[in-house]
Amino acid sequence: MTWQKCVDCLQRELPSQQFNTWIRPLRADIDGEQLRLVAPNRFIRDFVSDKFYPRIVELLQEILPSQSIDVSLDIGESTAPAFKPAPSEAPRVASKAYADPVPVAETTSVPRTRHDDSGTRAKAAPQTGFRDSGPMVSGTAVTRQNSRVRSEPVEGAINQQHFLVEGYTFDNFVEGKSNQLALAAARQVAENPGDSYNPLFLYGGVGLGKTHLMHAVGNALQQSKPGAKVVYLHSERFVADMVKALQLNAISDFKRYYRSVDALLIDDIQFFARKDRSQEEFFHTFNALLEGGQQMILTCDRYPKEIDGLEERLKSRFGWGLTVAVEPPELETRVAILMSKASQARIELPPDTAFFIAQRIRSNVRELEGALKRVIASANFTGREIDIDLVKESLKDLLALQDKQVGLDNIQRTTAEYYKIKVADLMSRRRSRSVARPRQVAMALAKELTNHSLPEIGDSFGGRDHTTVLHACRKIKELRETNSDIREDYKNLLRSLTT
Amino acid sequence: MTESGRGTPRQLTLDVQLDDDATLENFCDSEQTAPLLALLRDPSPENAEPLIYLHGSADSGKSHLLQAACQQAAAGTACYLPLLALRDYPAVDVLASVEGLALVCIDDLQAVAGEPEWEQALFDVVNRCRASGCQLLFAATASPRELGVKLPDLQSRLSWGVTYRLPAADDQRRQEILTFRAAQRGLKLAPEVLEYILARAPRGLAALMALLNQLDAASLQDKRALSRPFVKQVLGW
Repeated sequence: MTWQKCVDCLQRELPSQQFNTWIRPLRADIDGEQLRLVAPNRFIRDFVSDKFYPRIVELLQEILPSQSIDVSLDIGESTAPAFKPAPSEAPRVASKAYADPVPVAETTSVPRTRHDDSGTRAKAAPQTGFRDSGPMVSGTAVTRQNSRVRSEPVEGAINQQHFLVEGYTFDNFVEGKSNQLALAAARQVAENPGDSYNPLFLYGGVGLGKTHLMHAVGNALQQSKPGAKVVYLHSERFVADMVKALQLNAISDFKRYYRSVDALLIDDIQFFARKDRSQEEFFHTFNALLEGGQQMILTCDRYPKEIDGLEERLKSRFGWGLTVAVEPPELETRVAILMSKASQARIELPPDTAFFIAQRIRSNVRELEGALKRVIASANFTGREIDIDLVKESLKDLLALQDKQVGLDNIQRTTAEYYKIKVADLMSRRRSRSVARPRQVAMALAKELTNHSLPEIGDSFGGRDHTTVLHACRKIKELRETNSDIREDYKNLLRSLTT
Repeated sequence: MTESGRGTPRQLTLDVQLDDDATLENFCDSEQTAPLLALLRDPSPENAEPLIYLHGSADSGKSHLLQAACQQAAAGTACYLPLLALRDYPAVDVLASVEGLALVCIDDLQAVAGEPEWEQALFDVVNRCRASGCQLLFAATASPRELGVKLPDLQSRLSWGVTYRLPAADDQRRQEILTFRAAQRGLKLAPEVLEYILARAPRGLAALMALLNQLDAASLQDKRALSRPFVKQVLGW
């Protein structure tokens, strides 16, 4: 209550922005005359200690004049700590003189825990006599049921937690032409881990389902072999873990940990670029896992050879297993994805509305999902059935933007820029290949992306006939099958016009 | 203590900063914002959207809503990070471990769009919050696509959640807000008085609210209704 009174005073004294930024995230633990304020990170703690600490002490004295309260400022633990030092080895947090820095792991003494993974944590801790890592942040019943927490105390010095999202399975992965190869490979890996497709390297643009596939393999592995140590993480987490391990002088634990897994799933490895020490460490981990026959799955936004700032030896190793591209989903797959997501959310989505959304949102699955959520939120709020009108209303801004982006003008401008020619060239009568091909590409894009009729499109390209447009569309369709340059150009233009 | 104002207009004399009090009750709801408000008012974890993205021009109420959501959360479970004020600090430090909270509100995304260090740190934060179940509330002046984010991984993640555009504070909206906030204080503004104020008041909402505070105090003190001559006299117009 004392702290609450203090908070109330501060709330009145401070502009709300400051209050919400610095004071609200503080959690208080009171023990007799000890008030321990826990900030989520060092940045907030340092700021509070610099700017607000004296006032907090002053206020507490005003509120409880008869007592002298000892106030300390600490950093709390996050729910997903990277490396956690054991109590005995924990370095003391560098801090202001008056603060009483407590090693992070010592937050254990506070009996406040939260939400539904406490059971998992409680089970994990006693295995090695490792103390429960204590409080998560209080009072938050966070939905964690979809994540499987892997909490791995290693050698008493490192505690790892990694998440496999249980919701990502093969069953709810929507197969289409764009991803069938990747899906087949992933299934193969799930059945025969560590075998021929090692590493499995999935690459492709953002939001196309690489992470989903990766988790699906992980979940399948864990299902077929309960207790298997399947570790999923982002490349940044690997880097952060390594840096922390170096700081704590625990690099050998770090190595041991990553080499002891049954399967290692690392997402977005392009972020390893130019991080030499991490690459070095990962290189050795990679070799050890490969030798041990442990499965690795890696994802990246591009083909391994194209990652700048990545060592050659890593690039070549990435190609040792199987490298598969995940392409943007085509219309039918987008519709199927929407239907699948809607049924997961137990929402009735009429096929014509799914078709309408899928036709307009073509960039990636995340945006598709975002759009669907927006529609569902409107439907829930208004109590209306989902129909085209509701979709149009709820996605008004997005659709308006889309129309602007894929208007004829913009298609012509973007195509001209891409081929480094002038927009006037596209309109001109010139028929040399260097101009005619881009013109055809632009016409085909206009046909695919807009609702303009063939005569309208022809008109906008210097008054051409609709049969010219038709010919262009057929020609480009044919060339996309046979000519990889055109295929690539078309794909790039489509991407830049729709994201 | 917060002051919702409804039915308690006299609290104002008790030195409560209503104009600075960003709560959900104080937000002037409209047809466009109603679904969003419903979403924010229901903080139950099973209904919580993992990521909500608000965009709109200045004065459209983004910061108000972010802070209101933060305010609604229990102490120690939420934080508000206005990037305009924090952009000069190291991104990684500012965003460290925030996924341990239940709600993280990140305002002024446009202030750091295009800055690789920030974009990567934000990308990482979205991933971490997804994994830990922490809810994210973003606000910016532009939609995820128009924000000028260079890292596609971040851009796609920003469009992952429910995106809402807040209506701009045009004349009609300013009128609605002024009427609403006046009514909260139990003040009635006749149409001609409203028109009179709006025609002369500064454009910014903060200034408009300050002006309303001033009128409220004067009206309480003099025990007079807000007629046009009285407004003229108080504001010296």
